[in-house]
Amino acid sequence: RSKKMSKTAGKSATKRVVDDDDDDLELFKENSDEVPQKVEEEEDGEDSDDSDSEESVFSGLEDSGSDSDDDDDDDVEVEEDFEEEITSDCENEDRSPGLEPKEEQPSTKKPSKPQQGEKLLLKEKTATRKAGGSKGRAKDNGTVQSEEAKGQVTPPQVDEYEHDTSDEEWYQDYPHIGYDLDGKKILKPIRNKDELDEFLDKMENPDYWRTIHDKMTAADIRLSDEQIDLIHRLQRGQFGDVNFNEYEPYVDFFSDETMIHPVTNRPQDKRSFIPSLIEKEKVSKMVHAIKMGWIKPRKPKESEQRFYDLWAKEDPNAILGRHKMHVPAPKIKLPGHEESYNPPPEYLLTEEEKLAWEQQDPEDRKLAFLPQKYPCLRVVPAYSRFIHERFERCLDLYLCPRQRKMRVNVDPEDLIPKLPKPKDLQPFPTTQSLIYRGHSSLVRCISLSPSGQWLASGSDDCTVRFWEVCTGRCMKTVEVGGTVKSIAWNPNPSICLVAISFNETVLLLNPCLGDKLLYNATDQFIASYVEPEEERPQLVQWEVPQDEDFDNGFRLIINHPKSVKQVTWHGKGDYLASVLSDNSNTQVLIHQVSKRRSQNPFRKNKGIVQCVSFHPIRPYFFVASQRCVRIYNLIKQELMKKLMANCKWISSMAIHQGGDNVICGSYDSRLSWFDLDLSTKPYKVLRHHKKALRGVAFHKNYPLFASGSDDGSVIVCHGMVYNDLLQNPLIVPVKVLRGHTITHNLGVLDVAFHPMQPWIFSSGADATIRLFT
Amino acid sequence: MSQLQARFFTENIKYKVDDVPFSIPGASEVQDLSNVINKLLEGKHTDHSHVEFDFLVRGQFLRTTLATHMETEGISTEEVVEIEYVQRFIAPQPEECIMHDDWISSVDGDPEWILTGSYDKTARIWNQEGKALMTVAGHTDVVKDVAWVKRDGPVSLLLTSSMDQTAVLWEWNSERNKIRARHCCRGHAGSVDSVAVNLNQTKFCSGSWDKMLKIWSAVPTDEEDELEEQPDRPRKKKKTEQMGLTRTPIMTLSGHVEAVSSVLWSDNAEVCSASWDHTIRMWDIETGSMKSTLTGSKVFNCISYSPLCRRLASGSSDRHIRLWDPRSKGGSLVLLSLTSHNGWVTAVRWSPSHEQQLISGSLDCMVKLWDTRSCKAPLYDMAAHEDKVLCVDWREDGVRAQHTKLSTT
Repeated sequence: RSKKMSKTAGKSATKRVVDDDDDDLELFKENSDEVPQKVEEEEDGEDSDDSDSEESVFSGLEDSGSDSDDDDDDDVEVEEDFEEEITSDCENEDRSPGLEPKEEQPSTKKPSKPQQGEKLLLKEKTATRKAGGSKGRAKDNGTVQSEEAKGQVTPPQVDEYEHDTSDEEWYQDYPHIGYDLDGKKILKPIRNKDELDEFLDKMENPDYWRTIHDKMTAADIRLSDEQIDLIHRLQRGQFGDVNFNEYEPYVDFFSDETMIHPVTNRPQDKRSFIPSLIEKEKVSKMVHAIKMGWIKPRKPKESEQRFYDLWAKEDPNAILGRHKMHVPAPKIKLPGHEESYNPPPEYLLTEEEKLAWEQQDPEDRKLAFLPQKYPCLRVVPAYSRFIHERFERCLDLYLCPRQRKMRVNVDPEDLIPKLPKPKDLQPFPTTQSLIYRGHSSLVRCISLSPSGQWLASGSDDCTVRFWEVCTGRCMKTVEVGGTVKSIAWNPNPSICLVAISFNETVLLLNPCLGDKLLYNATDQFIASYVEPEEERPQLVQWEVPQDEDFDNGFRLIINHPKSVKQVTWHGKGDYLASVLSDNSNTQVLIHQVSKRRSQNPFRKNKGIVQCVSFHPIRPYFFVASQRCVRIYNLIKQELMKKLMANCKWISSMAIHQGGDNVICGSYDSRLSWFDLDLSTKPYKVLRHHKKALRGVAFHKNYPLFASGSDDGSVIVCHGMVYNDLLQNPLIVPVKVLRGHTITHNLGVLDVAFHPMQPWIFSSGADATIRLFT
Repeated sequence: MSQLQARFFTENIKYKVDDVPFSIPGASEVQDLSNVINKLLEGKHTDHSHVEFDFLVRGQFLRTTLATHMETEGISTEEVVEIEYVQRFIAPQPEECIMHDDWISSVDGDPEWILTGSYDKTARIWNQEGKALMTVAGHTDVVKDVAWVKRDGPVSLLLTSSMDQTAVLWEWNSERNKIRARHCCRGHAGSVDSVAVNLNQTKFCSGSWDKMLKIWSAVPTDEEDELEEQPDRPRKKKKTEQMGLTRTPIMTLSGHVEAVSSVLWSDNAEVCSASWDHTIRMWDIETGSMKSTLTGSKVFNCISYSPLCRRLASGSSDRHIRLWDPRSKGGSLVLLSLTSHNGWVTAVRWSPSHEQQLISGSLDCMVKLWDTRSCKAPLYDMAAHEDKVLCVDWREDGVRAQHTKLSTT
């Protein structure tokens, strides 16, 4: 039987061993005492079954109980923890609020108590059962346990709670097993099978394997096919119900998607929207505790920074800082096909190309080597240029820039000085208005009367003409005995004299134009000269013209030893200076008209004098030589300044009315503006003309200056001089005036401004004088 | 281009057309419109001969196409346009050329005689046929300006001013053709560039290079004003005796800072003077004070005043003829500037009979007739001169203008 049992059920080895022992004992016992043994066995079996089921049930209960117990315990523990915290936090406080949770403890424990009690009872019970029926229990344990292990599908057994099995033990020693309704004994079924019968049965009965013994009725029950099948299935770990499909498709009710409809139609509980009083109480307690300072919120964990920026606080100027401006070394060009030992045929040079390559300079060659073909890598010889190439590479690295140049980001427009627009600087001459025609040769020099009514011009046709400015009418033509080199109207408005230089002569001429009183007064002034008593040796000869010459207007003739280049008046109108084209020490002479006296201010020759000029206010004298302008103080008789014109050959010079600014025109087509307060170097050099400058002029009243050049143009510039010493002169070129035709490579020979109006006169090599207004 | 509705009218009854609107292409110019009118007139009068017309749209002469003109003038093209037409002034051919030996500095026309001043130090009187009747000689320098003072009967008074700093009042008997210097007006210290006689011919004003204006009496008398003669000028005194009695100014007006280039009487008590100091000044002769100043930006060469339209026209060295309102106290109100010349405007003269016409002469050898209703382009150019034009004048009849020619023959 035990074998049968072991065959049908019984899995754990230990239990089998016990079984075997039991079997052994049973066998032994059976031998001695059959019936009780059987009964005992039966009872045992019954008992074991029962106890087993009980056990399983209990275990489940126990599990649940223990679970709840555990939970409870946990709860308690938590509460105890909480309690501890509270108590520890409020040791000195009154304990009444802290006690509340304590009082609550029993109440929370109460529901678990009966469970525990039950559990204890059950445990005792099982203990007694185990003690009693450990043998029987072990026997059928296999199936039951397996069933139990297999799960919940065990066929519903008789409710063992209602059925008291204690009487089984009670009737152990009796032949009956109980009583029926009538009070008669129910006798135990007669066990008449011995081992032999059993054996024979085993041998002969084909259904023996599915016959089990019912202890209750002591009858042998033959298991039906369905039952066998069920057992097999359970043994295979399958579900008992054939029709049960464990792999039914899963319906996912609770997806992450928000559904419109609730899963259930059940209305929400009231408690789901009523705040829980208990929770509220708890929270309020905690809030109170926090308020009172019993609970301190958990300190946030200090997140330890394990990494930090090594270069965060680095000084960019430190040695490491230069890496920011790192310039990578120039890369070597990667080898191409032509460097291959077996280049494609198109990379190989033909004979002509080779020849051409050899004839080229090494710098011009596209390739530094000749591509060559080798049958295999083995035959490639040593690279002869290797050292050379390495050296070049080293040179490249050595010479490559190590640092980026910080280029100053300047807009070139910003470097151009902000000059006012010419139209804002009006008035200045803009258009040609009048042409004074009459001369037959180039007009070398022009001069305006101080009143601005007359214009005097000297020409190479050996005449001096006087023009009415406003109409261009030639009022007078005076023949002189040579080409007129220079002409200057006396700047004193009360003296009507024009100084004309030709050949070796300076002629003072009264044009007899303008106010009669004035020119008569001039004549009287000249005639009133009284010969000094003692004749002094004169450098020059003063001559008073007579008769015809006098009628022509000639008043005084000053004969010089050499030809006179230039003549100019002092602002007061009594002195005039003449420049001789002589390379001796008598290049400049200063004449005094009223005393008819001449003197040579300079003892030494300091280069060929180009032109001279008087300072308009102070007793200074400007002498322009080829390269520089010297300023002399005539009273102290000393050199004051030497202006370096920075040009090759000064042609002309003009002094600003204020006397602190000088412009010089030069034959190398430059115009230099000197500010005497600033420096002896030019304040500004204008290179607007394309050819040599022949004449420059300042306007007396307007901030204008002009230059005439061989390129036939007159350039008018705005030259504002400020009284404020801090402000440098403002020079703006405003207008290029063209009109003169270039004849014999000469354009404009002289320029002169009108004394009142912003008009400019220019005389040209085309024998005309033009007025621009 | 679109069609425009236009209605033509004229004040000349001779050329009247029916007062009905016409549809005219916008691209049509003066010539097209003129043809239209001529066609209409031919339809009306069979004996009509072709006449060139000029057209005025809202008081402005039409010089471009009709559409562009209306666009620039801001006239709506939706409505019917009123177009006035007048007979076009056709540039006249010079009728006569009065040749001088030297430059002519000034001219003054008269219904009968023409008075010219010349750079050969004389003034001349010419008749209509261009025959020189009289040469007024006596000045020692260039005659800068001439003016008739009085012209009634056989004896007429005329005035010449010269660079020799004098203005001489002459008496000319046209019947006997005798001229006599009555008064020599001395006092200026520069060339007397301009003289002007007042309306009732009792005074004249002279402007000089010495920046002064002087008012003189224009009535000949037999008394000689006392002139502080300096004893050391015998030569000059001799001349004075030749030139008639010396006269001193009634009044000297100083205020200009540059040469006075032109003077005129706008009233019997008001003198206008233009100067190189860029100003036109109005002087009150009664009090001898300056009334107002008009400031320009360029040198003024000449001014002219029209009593008809009460405007001043000035010619300056920047090619523009500017019109001024002399009554404006604002100073420099330029009402209009007429621009077409290429050189200095040396002479400008309002028409004595037409309130919108003036004539100008310029250094660019052109004489132009202007209408103030067309300030961009003149009515016509007279390009008969070969050299600079220095002065212009109108004859009394107002139809033909006289102008001097600079000839150096």
